[in-house]
Amino acid sequence: MLRSFRNSPEPVQAPVRIISLEQQTRICRVAVQAGRIMQQHGAESKLIEETTVRLGKALGLDSVELAITANALILTGLSQGRCITTTRRVYDRGINMHMVCEVQRITIMAEKQLLDVDDVVKRLERLQPYKHNRWLVVFMIGMSCACFSRLFGGDWAVFAMTFVASAIAMLFRQEMAHRHHNPILNFGMTAFVATTIAGLAVRYDIGNQPQTVMAASVLLLVPGFPLINAVSDMVKGHISMGISRWFFASLLSLGVAMGIALSMWATGVSGWL
Amino acid sequence: MIELLALLVEDALFSAVPAVGFAMVFNVPTRMLGFCAIGGAFAHSLRTLCIYWGVPLEWATLVASTSVGLIGVYWSRRYLIPRPVFTVASIIPMIPGSYAFTTMVGIISLYSNGFSEPLLATIIENGLRTMFILMALSFGLAIPSVVIYRGRPIV
Repeated sequence: MLRSFRNSPEPVQAPVRIISLEQQTRICRVAVQAGRIMQQHGAESKLIEETTVRLGKALGLDSVELAITANALILTGLSQGRCITTTRRVYDRGINMHMVCEVQRITIMAEKQLLDVDDVVKRLERLQPYKHNRWLVVFMIGMSCACFSRLFGGDWAVFAMTFVASAIAMLFRQEMAHRHHNPILNFGMTAFVATTIAGLAVRYDIGNQPQTVMAASVLLLVPGFPLINAVSDMVKGHISMGISRWFFASLLSLGVAMGIALSMWATGVSGWL
Repeated sequence: MIELLALLVEDALFSAVPAVGFAMVFNVPTRMLGFCAIGGAFAHSLRTLCIYWGVPLEWATLVASTSVGLIGVYWSRRYLIPRPVFTVASIIPMIPGSYAFTTMVGIISLYSNGFSEPLLATIIENGLRTMFILMALSFGLAIPSVVIYRGRPIV
């Protein structure tokens, strides 16, 4: 982070807060837990780092140093010259912006001194990921991909076929995710399902551009969030996190392409290239 | 003029739906879904307008995503919500999904059908387009925190 030190005002000395070793350990645990929830639910690295540091300082630490890796967080909390370091394994639990919002809100409340350590612990433990109704999601994703087919210039027959193909594919994806299958396998098989159904449009020549159905029905599998996070991480200086996210998103896309290729080979219908 | 307006309205309608749909996959809280719809509709029709005026696709994308990023600053400070909650869902309709998949399917068929120059050209062109659009999208979203809020948190 480049900053001009010439123009910066004199650093204000914050009053030293005296906290016990147990309290310091406790605060470190809370802070790393907040960061962990954020990373598990798909926040970008800068947000994770910022929130963890702010929460730790708000609860009484002098400084917080956080190392973010692709599947673990390492946090050191300093207070009166003592260091406490703790590591947490991070498991991917799927993108959930609701959880990210809640952790941010708790941090802001702690910063305004509305919550103490115990309240923060209680609130973090109470957080339950909110999920939208799955059938509504299936409908909306079907509509989304159908809208993409309109944007690519398809007519209403193409719209209807894309809706059917991608809604069934989304249902399949949810079922696979529910059974905790590997995401790359999930994306590949979902792409196979979507392309096979969409291939019917090409085979029976439905609509003005039957090929568009094949292109639009797999768009529910674009790893948009990981890709955007990857580039913003790299822009904001978290190069290694950015690279690992970029690579994971590329592997997901490769899985999707494998599914498409397998379906085109099995049915003999070609829609791409 | 009327044609352009009709084009933009249609564009806005057909991109508001995907923005909300994908926002629901990311489990954006219900009361924020409306903002995702507005952001998605605004961004995609702004990009279409820029392309209509002759701006290249990547630069038009950068303009659209920068404006979503700036609007996101206002909303996030007002509702105390991290910015990616609105902004990423809003730019989802502009993500180059079919270019990315064309690149990957092309790589697979380069292996299975053998090398040919037109195929290699397709792969490289689509791959580069995917990369540049993605860079434009996320760099545009990052502009407020890179240029205005340097080192300070937005909320």
